Amino acid sequence: MRLLTLLSLSLLGFGSSTLAATKRAPEERFRHYHSKALSSAPIKLLDASYRELTSAPRDYSVAVLLTAMDSRYGCQLCREFQPEWELLARSWTGGDKKGESRTVFGTLDFGDGREIFMSLGLQTAPVLYLFPATIGPHAVASPEPIRYDFTSGSQAAELVHSWLARHLPDRPHPPVKRPINWMRWISSLVLLSGGLTASYAAWPYVLPVIQNRTVWAAVTLVCILLFTSGHMYNQIRNVPYVAGDGKGGISYFASGFQSQYGLETQIVATMYGILALCGINLAIKVPRMTDPKTQSVALFAWSGVLLVVYSLLLSIFRGKNQGYPYSLPPFM
Amino acid sequence: MSADPLQVLASAGKGKNTRGLLRVIILALIVAAATASRLFSVIRFESIIHEFDPWFNFRATKYLVANGFYNFWDWFDDRTWHPLGRVTGGTLYPGLMVTSGVIYHALRALTIPVDIRNVCVLLAPGFSGLTAIAAYLLTNEMTPSPSAGLLAALFMGIAPGYISRSVAGSYDNEAIAIFLLVFTFYLWIKALKQGSMLWGALCALFYGYMVASWGGYAFITCLLPLHSFVLVCMGRYSTRLYVSYTTWYALGTLASMQIPFVGFLPVKTSEHMPALGIFGFLQLLAFLDYVRSAIPSRQFQTFLWIFAGAAFGLGLLGLVVATSAGFVAPWSGRFYSLFDTGYAKIHIPIIASVSEHQPTAWPAFFFDLNMLIWLFPVGVYLCFQQLADEHVFIVVYALFGSYFAGVMVRLMLTLTPVVCVAAAIAVSALLDTYLSTKSPDPEENQAVEGAEGKKGAKSGLKATNKPMVGVYATWGKGVVVSALAVYLLLFVLHCTWVTSNAYSSPSVVLASRLPDGSQHIIDDYREAYQWLRQNTREDAKIMSWWDYGYQIGGMADRPTLVDNNTWNNTHIATVGKAMSSSEEVSYPIMRQHEVDYVLVVFGGLLGYSGDDINKFLWMVRIAEGIWPDEVSERAFFTPRGEYRVDGEATETMKNSLMYKMSYYNYNNLFPAGQAVDRMRGARLPDVGPTLSTLEEAFTSENWIIRIYKVKDLDNLGRDHSSAAAFERGNKKKKVTKKRGPRVLRLD
Repeated sequence: MRLLTLLSLSLLGFGSSTLAATKRAPEERFRHYHSKALSSAPIKLLDASYRELTSAPRDYSVAVLLTAMDSRYGCQLCREFQPEWELLARSWTGGDKKGESRTVFGTLDFGDGREIFMSLGLQTAPVLYLFPATIGPHAVASPEPIRYDFTSGSQAAELVHSWLARHLPDRPHPPVKRPINWMRWISSLVLLSGGLTASYAAWPYVLPVIQNRTVWAAVTLVCILLFTSGHMYNQIRNVPYVAGDGKGGISYFASGFQSQYGLETQIVATMYGILALCGINLAIKVPRMTDPKTQSVALFAWSGVLLVVYSLLLSIFRGKNQGYPYSLPPFM
Repeated sequence: MSADPLQVLASAGKGKNTRGLLRVIILALIVAAATASRLFSVIRFESIIHEFDPWFNFRATKYLVANGFYNFWDWFDDRTWHPLGRVTGGTLYPGLMVTSGVIYHALRALTIPVDIRNVCVLLAPGFSGLTAIAAYLLTNEMTPSPSAGLLAALFMGIAPGYISRSVAGSYDNEAIAIFLLVFTFYLWIKALKQGSMLWGALCALFYGYMVASWGGYAFITCLLPLHSFVLVCMGRYSTRLYVSYTTWYALGTLASMQIPFVGFLPVKTSEHMPALGIFGFLQLLAFLDYVRSAIPSRQFQTFLWIFAGAAFGLGLLGLVVATSAGFVAPWSGRFYSLFDTGYAKIHIPIIASVSEHQPTAWPAFFFDLNMLIWLFPVGVYLCFQQLADEHVFIVVYALFGSYFAGVMVRLMLTLTPVVCVAAAIAVSALLDTYLSTKSPDPEENQAVEGAEGKKGAKSGLKATNKPMVGVYATWGKGVVVSALAVYLLLFVLHCTWVTSNAYSSPSVVLASRLPDGSQHIIDDYREAYQWLRQNTREDAKIMSWWDYGYQIGGMADRPTLVDNNTWNNTHIATVGKAMSSSEEVSYPIMRQHEVDYVLVVFGGLLGYSGDDINKFLWMVRIAEGIWPDEVSERAFFTPRGEYRVDGEATETMKNSLMYKMSYYNYNNLFPAGQAVDRMRGARLPDVGPTLSTLEEAFTSENWIIRIYKVKDLDNLGRDHSSAAAFERGNKKKKVTKKRGPRVLRLD
C-alpha cells in the first residue's frame, strides 16, 4: 500500500500535487517526508514541496537550509557548509529511524525555489530556518521560523546540532556521527610507510645533511626571522597579502601600528635578513679575508648596505608610527 | 707621536684589578641607568600604582603587611566576586607580595620609615637592576669575550620590551619574574656546565621562587626539558646533564608544589609532563650508560634499541591512558591557545578579549627591541660557531621565545632576555674585532693560508673554517666602530623615547596637552573612586565591567561583582547580560546580586578610546556564550553590519543598559540637536535615552566615569517605568492600569 502511494506521488511529480498535498493531515505529511528522508536525508525540496512541508498546522519540526550551490552565484559558504549539513541530516535521521524526534531535514536550492527566496526577501545564502511544531505535544507559541546565524563563517555540524537540540527540547537528539574517512587512513598509512622506506634508503645521504651545522643554523635563522616579522599574526588574523590604496595602485604597507599585510611582513623579514647578513659578514667573514684589498672592499660594501637598509627600515617604521622622531641618512 | 696617549689608554685597563674595578663601576652605572629610566611616571605624575592588576597586588600586599603571613595565606576575600567571594590566598602567586613585605619589614627593622606604597611602586625598577646583573652573568657563561656581558646588561636594562612591564608603579608579577627567569637560566647553565648538585639545587630554589611569582613559570618548566632533550638527541648525554637535571627537577617540583595555587598541578597537567618525561628518560639513559660499561658493544647495540624503543612506547602509552582516564588533565586553555591559535577565539572569548593576548604585528617587535631585533639572528648564528651545551640553550630559547612572542604580545617579555644576550654576543664580537689596535701583517697571513688552506676543517660552520686574521685597514675599523657607536646611541635614544612616550602612563591618570603645549592632567578615575569611598556605604556593591574590578577594590575599597581575576566566566557573563539587556531584564539581575551602584566608563566627551562602549561587544559575546537565546551579538549590528551608536543604532542597542547609562543626559551638554560622540564621531539623536530603574549618582569632570544608583523597589508597588513616567508628568495610559504589579523575574 505504502509503496503504491510513494510510487504514485513520484509519478505525479511535486509540482502538480500541490493542491492534493496541502490537504493531507500533518501526521500523514510527516510520515511521508520522514520515509523519504530515510532513503536520502536531507530531502531535496522544490517550491511546492517546501510549501507543503512548512505549511502551518504541523505537529513536527522542519529544519530547512536555503542555499545556492550553483557555481554561478559563487557562494563559498554554501559549498563549505553543504557537506556538514548533509552529515548532520543523515546522522540525525539515521539515528531516529522511528521518527521520535519528529524532525525533518530539507534543502532548498536557489535554482529550485527562486520564488520562495523572493517571498522571504532573502538576499544572502545560506540561511538555515527551523520551523517549530505548531500543534501536538511539542507545539510552541510562535509559528515563525527561527533563523540560524551564519555570521561567524562556516559551522561544524556539531555546532548546528547543539543549536537544534536547544530549540527542540524534550525529544531525542541523535548525535552527529562522522564517518571514518577510510581513504585518508589508507593514504596516510601508505605515505607513512613510503616515507619510512625512502628515508631508510636515503639515510646515508640524509645523515650528513641532518648533522650539518650550517643547515641547522640556516633553518633556525629563517624561523626566527619569520616569527619576529609578524608571521604568526598573519596566520592568526588571516590578513590580506596586499591591499589597494583606493587610487588603483597597491599599498604595500598597512597604515597603523596594529595592522600589517602579508607582503609587508615579507619585506620586513627580508630587511631583517639583510641586516643580519651584514652583521654576520662583518663579524665573521671580513676579518677572515687574507687579502687586504678584498677585505677593504667587502668591509665598505657590507657597512654601506647595513646603513642603507637600516635607514630604510627606520623610515618604514616612521610611516607606521607617526611621530617617531629618529632617522638615519640616506632615508631621512 | 700619537702612540703615547693610546698606549696609556690601552694599558689603563690591562691590570686585572683595574679591570675588575672598572667592571663593577660600569655594572653599577648600568643598574643606575636601568632604575632611573623607569622613573618617568613618578617624576611626571606621582608615586602611584598603575593600571589594573597592580591595584590588586597592592591591596593584597597591604593585607599581608597588616595581617601577617599566615592570615594572608588563608585569606578568603568576601569583598570581591560578590556574592561568591574568592579564596584569594589559594588563588594567587604570593611571591610578589611576600617580596615587598620582606623589603618593607627589613627597612622598618633598619629604622627607615617607609610607606608600603613606595616599596610597591619602586619594586619593579629596583628588580630591573638585578635583572641587568643576571643578564651579565648569563652572557658571561656564553662567550669568553669580556665585553659581551656588560653589553647584555645594558641592553637588558633599557630594552623597552622589558621596560613595558617594569616601570615604577607597574607593580605586577612580571616585575620580579623576569629577574627570576634570567637568574634561573643562569643557574641552570652553571649547573649544566659543572655538573654540580649545588648549582642545580640553587637553580631549583630560584625556580621555586619563580613559581611562587608568576604563571609564566611554565616557560621554564618546558624550556629546560626541551634543552636537555635536544642535547640528548645531539648525542651529548653526560653525567653533568644527569646530575643537574635530576637535581633541578626533583627539588624544583617539590618547591613548586608548596604554592597552594600550583599544588598538584606539576604531576597532573600536560604542560608539566615534558619535564617529568625527560626526568624518566634521563634515568633510562643513565641506566643504559651503566649497562654499556658492562656488556660488550655488539650485544649492547641490539639491547639498546629494543630497550629504548620499548621504554618510549610504554611511556607514551601510559601518558595516553592516563590522559584519557583523567589522571592527567589536558592542556589548560590559556596554554593550549598558544599552539592551536584559533582555539581561544572559538571556545574562550574571555581569553581572546584581553588585548595582551593578541598576536604581535611586526611594528611591535621593532618598537620594543629596535636594532636588537636584527642583531638577534647574528648572535644566534655566532652561537652555532662553538655550539657547546650552553649555546644550544640559546638557540632553543631563541626559537621558542620568538614563536611565543609572535603569538601573544605579552610574551615579548620572555623573548627580551634572549634577544639581549644574543645581540650582546653579536655586538661584542664586532667590537672585539674592530676595536683591536693590532693590525695583521698581510704577507705573513697569506703564507699561513697557503699552508693551512688545504687542511679540511672538522665540524662547525663553513664560514668559520678559515682562521681569524684580523682587519688590516685602520680606516675600516674606524668606519665600523663609529657606525656601531651611532647605532648604539640611536638605540639609547629610541629606548628613552619609547619609555617616556608609551610605557610611562599610569593609565589611572591620563595626561593630555592643551593647545598652548602645557600638560593637562585628567584625573577622572581617582575622582570617581574617591567619590565612591566617601559617599557610599562601606558594603555598597558596585557593578562594573571586570576591567575596573581591581581598581574599585583598591582605590574605592568597595565590594565588586567581578574583577580582573576572571576565574568565573558565568559570573562575568551575568554582568555582561545585565549590561547588554534592557532595563526590564537587567533590574532583576541587579536586585538578585544586591547591586547598589553601577559604574560605566564613557569616553564620548573626551574622545577616550578605552571606554565601555568600545568594549561592549565583548560583554555581549561573553554573555551570548552562556545565554545564546537571550543575548545575540547580531542584534547589536545594523542590518548592514555596522556597529553604530547614533540615531541608526539598532533597537537592542538603544535599549541596552550600557547604551542608556553612557548617553543618559549627554545631549543636555550640547545645544539642541548637536550632541556628538567625539570618540566614535557620531551625531546622537535629539532625544536622549531615559532611565527608570537607575538614577544618576555621579559623573566625573570629563564624564569618563559615570556612576548610577540602582533604585529600590517602588513604594507604591508600581513598576519603575510607570513610576518614572508619572514623575515626568506623562498621562497614565489605560493599558498600564490593567497590568498587575510587576514581580521580580526569576531565571
